[in-house]
Amino acid sequence: MHITLNIMRQAAGAPAEASFQSYSVDTAEDATVMDAMLQVRDEQDGGLGFRAGCLRGFCGDCAYRISGTGDLACLTPIAKVAKEGAVNIEPVRHIGLLRDLVYDLDPFLWDKVKAVRPGLTAPDTPPAQEALMEPAVVEDLQTVMSCVMCGLCDEGCTVITVDSKFLGPAALTKAYRTVKDPRNSAAGLELDLMEKPHGVWDCTHCYEANGHCPKKEINPTYRILAVREMLMERGIKNKAAARYHESFTSSVKRSGWVDEGHLAISGIGWTNIWGLMKFLPTALRAIRRGKAPLPYLHKKRPGADRIKRIFEKVERK
Amino acid sequence: MPEHDVLIVGGGIAGMRSAMEAHRQGLNTALLSKTHPLRSHSCTAQAGINAALKPDDSADSFAADTVKAGDYLNEQPAVEILCREASEAVLEMDAMGAPFSRQADGRFDVRKLPGASHARAVFAGDITGQTILHTLYEQLLMAGIVTYDEAVIQALAITDGTCHGVIAYDLREGRFFNIGARAVVLATGGLGRVYRRTTASLSCTGDGISLAYQAGAQLMDMEMVQFHPTVLPGKGVLVTEAVLAEGAVLRSADGTAFMARYAPAAAEMSPRDVTARAIELEIGARNGDGSVLLDATGIDPARASKGLKHTRELLLALQGLDLLKEPVPVRPAMHRQMGGIRTDLEGSTTLPGLYAAGECACAGVHGANRLGGNTLTEALVFGRRAGSAAARYAATAPAKPVPEALAADAQKLATESFDRTVGEDSPSAIRSDLQETMERHVGVHRDAAGLQNAQENIQSLNERLSRVGVPNTGAVFNTSLLGYYEAGHLLRCAEAVVLSARERTESRGAHARTDRPDRDDKRWLKHTLVSLDGERPRADTADVTITKWAPEPRVY
Repeated sequence: MHITLNIMRQAAGAPAEASFQSYSVDTAEDATVMDAMLQVRDEQDGGLGFRAGCLRGFCGDCAYRISGTGDLACLTPIAKVAKEGAVNIEPVRHIGLLRDLVYDLDPFLWDKVKAVRPGLTAPDTPPAQEALMEPAVVEDLQTVMSCVMCGLCDEGCTVITVDSKFLGPAALTKAYRTVKDPRNSAAGLELDLMEKPHGVWDCTHCYEANGHCPKKEINPTYRILAVREMLMERGIKNKAAARYHESFTSSVKRSGWVDEGHLAISGIGWTNIWGLMKFLPTALRAIRRGKAPLPYLHKKRPGADRIKRIFEKVERK
Repeated sequence: MPEHDVLIVGGGIAGMRSAMEAHRQGLNTALLSKTHPLRSHSCTAQAGINAALKPDDSADSFAADTVKAGDYLNEQPAVEILCREASEAVLEMDAMGAPFSRQADGRFDVRKLPGASHARAVFAGDITGQTILHTLYEQLLMAGIVTYDEAVIQALAITDGTCHGVIAYDLREGRFFNIGARAVVLATGGLGRVYRRTTASLSCTGDGISLAYQAGAQLMDMEMVQFHPTVLPGKGVLVTEAVLAEGAVLRSADGTAFMARYAPAAAEMSPRDVTARAIELEIGARNGDGSVLLDATGIDPARASKGLKHTRELLLALQGLDLLKEPVPVRPAMHRQMGGIRTDLEGSTTLPGLYAAGECACAGVHGANRLGGNTLTEALVFGRRAGSAAARYAATAPAKPVPEALAADAQKLATESFDRTVGEDSPSAIRSDLQETMERHVGVHRDAAGLQNAQENIQSLNERLSRVGVPNTGAVFNTSLLGYYEAGHLLRCAEAVVLSARERTESRGAHARTDRPDRDDKRWLKHTLVSLDGERPRADTADVTITKWAPEPRVY
């Protein structure tokens, strides 16, 4: 199969001068994108910079944007992605580059993994027999640990694009793994970290992470939501988030819909004068633009009583 | 210059386990790795990790299987240690959080792998290596061990025959730097890329073996190269042995099951050397298309959906084949060498201050053929022992700075290659020709004429490499330079493999000589050794230590 590979290149420290370079190769019909890239490096351009490792999806070292979609090059048959005999290969988005396709994963991924207390607290001497565990619990851990840390979920994350400090789905999936493992004797410490700014509460559950993950069963977004559930169950220590959620629930229960004004003030805290002062300009802007009609009255929506009964029914359980 | 008590080179399972041990003993420990640790080749181990944990099993039975699979070339004291310490190693990984599959009662599930008399491979679905690697990395981070990710060592700092640090090239920063260490542990993995058809990651270029050899360390049993029976032809993609363990059948192109003809009792459950030879003979004798069929259509789909999930996904993605519905074409490919840097039971090499563990090391655990499921056990057991011995040594060894002259010498290699004119020839062309030679002459079956041919080819490839010019693509992540270094390491490893293979004039385990088809215990119940005598490789032998298991005819 004759293929043109258009590969994005840039010299170290010169991101402004990035440009495509074209190579043409003859590959086997069942060649992967990585097979073709290696062929280029071996036969045409030994200086082409990119990472690759196991060549079969276990090491996570070859995530690139392949004709516009982030994927592992070693698991992508070239015939599937070639358009009119050509494939474009670019670095994934939002990551700094060292050279060519070699990106700097430290700030983007590894530093965040380090920040979540990514391991279990294990006894100094191992027990005389294995921990008894439900098969289903172990299988769930296997699923999340099949994550190869390729970074593609973080690339697709809509929060990281606006807040580079957000821990992101990959590191938070690692956190899920540590807090869900019944063998971890210090899971509480890991949960405390999750509540901090840039942690699970900053996820907007847009579900992009699920779609961008090359493994179909990990579903990082669900893992983040599961950690939130755990935080709710043990009682949220982060006061603002707790008040926000209480206000949200009580408003829907009372009136059938969300009282956004009340919600905003509850999140800050009714007695937090300094916090409320800081919020004042936003409130005034909202009033000026007709987003908060005065006098501010939050009416019940039709059918609110039935919604209230749903709450009461659930609460009885 | 950074200085540490113990420096581990290699971020795979053996390396990280070593690092944990030295750290636990209170020493200033650092780990340097050519790739990020999670990209290490350990991630590809799938089928399981052996330990005699079940009540009907025993360390002795485990050891007997290992020795028989190794065709009696194993160092039996090393095997006994492996089998005795395996259980603690696996339980420790469990406590650290490795997600080993469970039975309904909550205890470990186990697999009976080919060559084993008992079901003793503990596993995590079919991603056992990956989950152990990630679990160890988690612990490494929790312990706060210093890592140098993506740095390659160019040379070991040796003064008066003692190792006291390394000279490294930091790919990310694009600089050469020295690291002083009272003890160095090599856990740099295998040399799989010596062959064209290989299951090895791109990083498996024998760096540690080559550098230790150049520094004067002895290599042992280098001719013993394991070919994995079931690999996709034309690709290095391995289909895990767990598929055979779960009951798959090997068939020739016309659909006939053939393994029972070669191994009447064990058939598909034979050790890898037996199965690889059988497949090669089938391909040679009857199938023109260069493969046989791995037929897993009869295995339990419920068990496979959990235990072989990633294998199925992989085959579907790459070949559009459903493992459970249609047979998969496979043939043997280079998988793992049994030989390596000669060590004692504590991982000490023949050079003071230098230790080795994992695939680059050879304490003689695997003999002439490794039993499936023993690589992970070896990495943990001997990784721990090497880390511990290095820490004990480092506690009293004096610190010596790496002399600037040594560092300058190492860098000269790079600058000289940049200074030569870049012509038609390239390190990758040299590597590719080496791979072709090894594939043709040093494969599953070997003979004197082919081996001599290989030796001559390697000689001329060495000359080509000394003349080749390397384009200087800058300091940061200079892949041309890395390829040049790696080609050199591969050639040096290949030289040792071929020399040892020529020396061993018998067939034993993975070393099958068509011109010497029988095992010769009288002459060759011996390890082959290779070391450098000045510039020239020198072959030697050493006796095999036998404790409990006297050699018997090896029948499966």
